[in-house]
Amino acid sequence: MTTHGVQAALKETWFAAGLAPRALDHLAELGRLVEIPAGTAVVQEGRPCDVLGLVISGRIALRLAVPGGQDRTILTVHPGDVYGWSAVLPQPIATSTGVAVVDSTAVVFDGDALREGLAGDCELAAALFERLLVSVSRRLVATRTQLLDLYRGGASPW
Amino acid sequence: MVTAASSFLPRAEIGRLFDALSADGRRIIGPTVADGAVIYDELAAPADLPTGWETDTAPGSYRLRETGADRSFDYVLPVTSWKRYTHPAFVPLTRSRRDGAQVLVEPVADDPPQLAFVGVRACEIAALGIQERVMRAGPLGDADHVGRRTAALVVAVECAAATSTCFCTSMVTGPEVGGGADLVLAELDEGFVVRSGSPAGADLLATLDLRPAAPAEVERTTAQVAAVRAGIGEPVAAEGLPERLRAALDSPRWEQVAERCLACANCTLVCPTCFCTSVGVASDLDGLEASTQRQWDSCFSQGFGRVAGDANFRPKVKDRYRQWLTHKFSTWYDQFGSSGCVGCGRCVAWCPVGIDVREELAAIAPATAPRGPIPWPPAPAAGHAPAALAVVEPARHVAATITSVTPETADTVTFRLATTDPELLAARPGQFVMVELPAFAAPPISISRIRPDGLDLTIRSAGPATAAIIALGAGAQVALRGPLGRGWPVESAIGRDVLIVAGGVGLAPLRPVIEAVLAERPRFGAVRLFLGARTPADRLFVAEMNALAGRADLEVAEIVDRAGPEWLGQVGIVTHLFDQATWDGSRATAFICGPERMMQATASVLRGRGVDPKAIWVTLERNMACGVGTCGHCQLGPFFVCRDGPVFSIDELGTAFGREGL
Repeated sequence: MTTHGVQAALKETWFAAGLAPRALDHLAELGRLVEIPAGTAVVQEGRPCDVLGLVISGRIALRLAVPGGQDRTILTVHPGDVYGWSAVLPQPIATSTGVAVVDSTAVVFDGDALREGLAGDCELAAALFERLLVSVSRRLVATRTQLLDLYRGGASPW
Repeated sequence: MVTAASSFLPRAEIGRLFDALSADGRRIIGPTVADGAVIYDELAAPADLPTGWETDTAPGSYRLRETGADRSFDYVLPVTSWKRYTHPAFVPLTRSRRDGAQVLVEPVADDPPQLAFVGVRACEIAALGIQERVMRAGPLGDADHVGRRTAALVVAVECAAATSTCFCTSMVTGPEVGGGADLVLAELDEGFVVRSGSPAGADLLATLDLRPAAPAEVERTTAQVAAVRAGIGEPVAAEGLPERLRAALDSPRWEQVAERCLACANCTLVCPTCFCTSVGVASDLDGLEASTQRQWDSCFSQGFGRVAGDANFRPKVKDRYRQWLTHKFSTWYDQFGSSGCVGCGRCVAWCPVGIDVREELAAIAPATAPRGPIPWPPAPAAGHAPAALAVVEPARHVAATITSVTPETADTVTFRLATTDPELLAARPGQFVMVELPAFAAPPISISRIRPDGLDLTIRSAGPATAAIIALGAGAQVALRGPLGRGWPVESAIGRDVLIVAGGVGLAPLRPVIEAVLAERPRFGAVRLFLGARTPADRLFVAEMNALAGRADLEVAEIVDRAGPEWLGQVGIVTHLFDQATWDGSRATAFICGPERMMQATASVLRGRGVDPKAIWVTLERNMACGVGTCGHCQLGPFFVCRDGPVFSIDELGTAFGREGL
């Protein structure tokens, strides 16, 4: 896949849509489009998170291990959203295991190269971190809502 | 005010009035002294009147004092009000029994007692009128109330004294008696100036054959009541009060008054207009025979706002005090066109901690307060008026037979019910029915399918009644009352895109919308269905939804809150299904049902996507006990959710939607 192809894929996502042309060029240079067969683990909870992935198609399930029990899927990542966002942190450790539940494609960014690239490109860094914040805050809101367990039955006067 | 056409009844001859009132077997109810207070009770003779007593009241204080005078009406107000007779504390509603699989529910209706109310004050006449408007608010009215009120003669008495808790002048209900009475008495030391206020009163007065009242006698009564008015003054700044209160929903004073309020409900019990009730159920030990009765309740009760899911919409005393005060002085206007307070002051005197409603109003909504934005529109939006009320008789129950039972989840089943009742068969998407099984309080259940020969009801076992109902098998009967409420305005979406967002069992009331839209699919634009559930095992109508997902003419997406690794579908919250979508919401009408917080989040995302708030419809859950807007449980600001909803646009609800404590 050429940089041009990566750029075209990025433009189709809400995450990268609206990036300034120069920032988009730079981001596309840092990424590569990969195919992820169903069942493939893309990041592992507790292990170094060495890639940031932007899902182009398919679905990635984020799972937490429950010692002595079954893994729980706590979120699925859909086209336009990211997995492995810990890759941009100074100490990149994955907070969940990401598994493709269907055949998927993603633009992936090597963590070291991405951090280095962002350190030298303030414009791209500002735009990317803003989008990551949107994504992370969106799933934080989701997690809070899930904690409320709104669909739990509970007792009734009747 | 007594007019020149008045007559004069000497004090010694008041027994003649009693005789005339009771000549046709009518019982006389009036003031009498009992247990250190004046109460309303049956009077056998004039000697039962509180002659020689006056009352002295203050916040949290009520005292009787002997005057030594011969006057009978110098007390100000009895503890109890006339609602004890027009809206009694207990009214039988139904008798029901189970006979094998059959269920029979019959309304109970007693002939109203023929009563004469003696000693009714101006503020109390206003209270009778207000209660009558409340109880007649439905198309058929409350038959019990209408019967009792129609059967009662009202003999009013002009106030000759006021006490410190009176504020009828502010509420424009007194002290002068205007209309609404059959006879009006004005007491002087030597007797009563009497005038008629109705044809029945005129007939009664004619039988007494009294001499005309002298002008001087009339003038003295006029001066008496004028002195009362001057003595009361204007304790409450009533002008603009409804608007000021609406703008003060976040006043810190609510917390302060809640620290003093015991939530004992005394204020609502002594109030002559408070009308909230619950339905009590009594049964034999095996639950085969039962009866229900309507009984006084109070918005101050802890469980008054309780609904399924361990939820309570007014859990704090602050919430309940705010509900009571804002209802009385603000939202009552929206509901019934008047204040709910007549200024009698009973709530002030009988509050055990002396909370003075006048003082609270002045603190919460002072006359000088700026008129802030109001939390909801002043009246429900036009064009979507309640319709179901026009055909529903509150006590009408129809037996329906369960023809099949489909388990949906571990605790939820769908009943297919057969009925030939034309009203039930004419139900519209979004309406609900009360499902009665003898010995259990009837739960409100949304209709999950409307068929030519019956209805489907999808019921989750969450309490004693729903557990007993879902334990029934095919062939058993339940009694239905309905259809009730305002349904989804599916017709408003014709020519537009349709968004249907369901959370959990919220899919049940939306299924008729889906079916109505698909029945006329070409008349709608794009149709998108978004389904949320707790886990994969908690999804409703799985086979049906899978079949819909296979259709090319609609989009179906589902998501669950949590799942094991075997679930390959989407996990997250329902808004994740569309918050990053690219479709244009400006052409869409949305129908949403689920927990209120889920609906808030969904509505917020949809507004962000350009959907007009007038086209975002939600259905609210509240404690709907009567279903016709007379028990008071389901109030939300100016709305009775059972009658005005349960379907509302978020534009109609304004900031009342999702507001804590309302």
